[in-house]
Amino acid sequence: MTAATSVQPVVSPPAPRSVARILAELFPDSTAVEGERALELSTAEPTRQISATIIEGHELRARRVFGDPVVGFAAFLDGTQHSIVEMYRAGGVPIVRGRVGAVIRDRRNQRLFTWRHLVEDALYVPRARMREADWDRLAASGITLRDTTDGDVDASEHPLALRDSAIHRVQKDRERIEQQLAEDWCGRENRPLLIDGGISGAEQVARSGCAVGVIKSHRTLYARGDALSVVLALGRAERSSVFVVTSPKRTSVASWYLRIRDGRGREPMWGLARVEVAAPTADREQDIGTRADEVSRWILAEASPVSLPDGRWDKMVYGVRDCEEFLRAIMGT
Amino acid sequence: MTATPLHSPLSTLDSRPLGRIVATERKPNTPHEFHFWTALDSPVGIGTVVRVEGAQAVNGQIPRVYGIVVEGFGYTDLQTPLHDLLGHDGTPASASLAPTQRTEIRLYSAAVQRQLPEEPLQPVPMGQVYLADDNDVAVALRMDGYLKEGSRTGIPVGVYRAGGTDAAIYLDADFLLGPEAAHLNITGVSGLATKTSAIEWIMGSIFAHFPPQKGSVAAVCFNVKGPDLCFIDQPGDIDDADRLLYEKCGVPATPFEHVQYFAPYKSDGFSLNTLRSNDALLHNVSALTWGLREVLQYAEVLLNKDDVDAKADALIDFIRERVVDRDFSDAILGSKHYTVKSFADLEEWFRDLLSALEGKNNEGWRTHHIATIRKVRNRLSNISTRCAGLVTDAGTVSDLPFGSFQDRTVYVIDVASLEEDAQDLIFARVVTKLREHLEKRDLGVNHVIVFVDELNKYAPSDGRETYVRKMLLDLAERGRYLGLVLFSAQQFRSQVHRRVVGNSGTALYGRMDADELATPGYAVLSPAVKTKLATLEKGQLMVRHPHFTQPIFVRFPRPAIMRGRDGAERYPQAADVELEAAVLRGLRTLDPSITLGWVQDAIGLRDDDEVLRARNAALRERPADVKRFFLAQLKPVIAPQTATRAAATALRPAPADDPYGF
Repeated sequence: MTAATSVQPVVSPPAPRSVARILAELFPDSTAVEGERALELSTAEPTRQISATIIEGHELRARRVFGDPVVGFAAFLDGTQHSIVEMYRAGGVPIVRGRVGAVIRDRRNQRLFTWRHLVEDALYVPRARMREADWDRLAASGITLRDTTDGDVDASEHPLALRDSAIHRVQKDRERIEQQLAEDWCGRENRPLLIDGGISGAEQVARSGCAVGVIKSHRTLYARGDALSVVLALGRAERSSVFVVTSPKRTSVASWYLRIRDGRGREPMWGLARVEVAAPTADREQDIGTRADEVSRWILAEASPVSLPDGRWDKMVYGVRDCEEFLRAIMGT
Repeated sequence: MTATPLHSPLSTLDSRPLGRIVATERKPNTPHEFHFWTALDSPVGIGTVVRVEGAQAVNGQIPRVYGIVVEGFGYTDLQTPLHDLLGHDGTPASASLAPTQRTEIRLYSAAVQRQLPEEPLQPVPMGQVYLADDNDVAVALRMDGYLKEGSRTGIPVGVYRAGGTDAAIYLDADFLLGPEAAHLNITGVSGLATKTSAIEWIMGSIFAHFPPQKGSVAAVCFNVKGPDLCFIDQPGDIDDADRLLYEKCGVPATPFEHVQYFAPYKSDGFSLNTLRSNDALLHNVSALTWGLREVLQYAEVLLNKDDVDAKADALIDFIRERVVDRDFSDAILGSKHYTVKSFADLEEWFRDLLSALEGKNNEGWRTHHIATIRKVRNRLSNISTRCAGLVTDAGTVSDLPFGSFQDRTVYVIDVASLEEDAQDLIFARVVTKLREHLEKRDLGVNHVIVFVDELNKYAPSDGRETYVRKMLLDLAERGRYLGLVLFSAQQFRSQVHRRVVGNSGTALYGRMDADELATPGYAVLSPAVKTKLATLEKGQLMVRHPHFTQPIFVRFPRPAIMRGRDGAERYPQAADVELEAAVLRGLRTLDPSITLGWVQDAIGLRDDDEVLRARNAALRERPADVKRFFLAQLKPVIAPQTATRAAATALRPAPADDPYGF
């Protein structure tokens, strides 16, 4: 186990007003957008249900997590993003300012300290829908540019579709720096790291024994029919059987549902989290239940302190909230 | 002796910032207050002096701000206690098992002591906060102005300690002993030995550091309770921590070198009324006795307004101006001439006058009604009874050495065992004499510190107007121009007349009573400072001084003198003795060869008053040949002569024819 590295100095990205000023100077014929909401607030992922392969037993059923909660996690990783339309060019082409950040907060003597963090700023612009001269002027301004159309000349010209492309690109950037930090951790440390979200995006992380992903959002459910009923009926400190989450573009990981808090009287997914760990090799598959219980005990130990007043406090561990607060403080979002 | 140099090297202090300035709309920084946060383990506390380094130059100069922490806040990201309860299922024991402590902040508010540059005066800028070092403390408290080599007027009052900084704090002699400001007042609860100890320490510090160019200084202390000041010339126990403080302040850890004690006699007229009456310590104890002339001037102290109306006052003035110490005669008194020098003489004068008036059936004499004469006689005659031991019928005077006060000498007047009237009389007369001599510049020293404890008794904020209170007000308001400085102490500052404490340029506060702190006089202090004051340790003080924008907390060492209680145990009070022993005790201080046998032979069968008069004269004059001088004061004794028996005349023989003869 290695000691934590020194904290990076806080990056000082251009202040929002200065970006707006630059754009106003570059494009005096366009007007800056006032009062625009953050794009994250207007976007919702579609819901999906996917069948998953059970690797603990033959069917998905509820399993009691025996034993007292155990403090196992050494650090927490979370990222955040913030994007907003700064200006629309002719034809309703949005210029989106995006800021992404991620941090690992290391727990020492019950207190959290920054292990490392990253913050990036960029303008997200659909190059295929923009005049080349405009793109060149933006590029010459020194601001980092991201092409939200990725060179696709047939990309939709619907302004809302262009906006969605921008926000997806911001999201990708956020995932990228989260993965960068997670890989950094897994390369240097072997202490358990709780990652807010899935771990399958980066192979090194997905195969690491120290990374545990906790997913709070259930827009995608890995259960159907009776299995879904089992998942939604889990009681406190109960988990589902372990299954494998596979995706063509991602690394397969082992996963299970865990009820962190008693959800009686609440909506079905209250207090329900999905956990991801590295998928076991074929010869260790029989041990996955033990591993799931161990990790579940770690997560249950993080039930206090509660993450109130965050609205997702039922399934958000305090370490993740701390990461968000840190990023909110340094990113000014 | 040298004080620690002001600009000492900063070898051990950490130069890393310990905090960062923060300001919000709800809690903005102002020119007089700022806020900063620190790490949880920082050494900052209430009373810590900090330095702020601004981030941006103003008029080409990076602003530097000095402040003292006056309030502290600590909180977490918990929005309501209910969230914590929820998080631990209502079970406090489980809280200790939480894997993570909530994010916690230590946020401090500091009062600005000084900004550099001083103009333009702006809100405290954003910047980093550092623990103040010795130099910073000196600059923050504006001590740099009076600690310059060559014009140094600093008097150490204690040591400021915080996070490894040990800085001696100095008062400005010009503002402590005049003429710019003057007087010192200390307040604090009783029983912690803080008030008296602090005064003793500061007097020692003044004696060690008072600048030679400012002249000489002496102190007159009234010992008003127990043996508090009875052994200040004897060494006491101090520990290593005290020695360090002495060393830091450059004050010798020794008792006062020159001390003179004064105490009246008990009512017997020859036993000293003080706890410092042990034979081993009598060498510097003198009697304090006054006669009619000394007392009559202060009759107002002893006679209240009911006693002394305008008519009585006129008669007392007449007696003072025309009768006392003058050859007095009047037709009504026949051919008899009076020279009234003592209460006994005055009583004789009154008796003859009233007899004459009654004999001639006169209702008045020289515009004074007979009833007024009777009243004044009654009141004045009563004084020698009420102040027995201090005021003598015979007019014997033994007084402080007005006119020959010595530099760096403490004159202690023990009034602890006296009645209130006698205490008031002593206080009024001594202070008045000091003022008179200082006005004439013939006291012997340029500055005199007068220490009065229990000030709320002598100068209360309410109650009737007394002579002593008037005098204290005068002393507080005008004394500094003369070099007459009041050092006063009391338990409740709020109960002392505002003009007395208000005129004290320097104010010290020991541990305070919570009720006292709730009075309006302390409204300027933050709740945290009040809490600190209510829990101050022994040997800690809060200091306010004209140069200090904000009060500062200091530590001072235990005085290197014998504590009153220890002295009383080590030097028990002498038992009351016979006249011969009392005379022997007094004369032996002048001539150790005198024995009890010699005294008994010398006294013989003479009456007590005569013997005491002779003893007092010897003690006052301190002659070279004590025995001869003492004997010369006694009335001569006629040598006994042997009577010779006259020879008896022979009987005449009877006639032979005597018919009755046998």
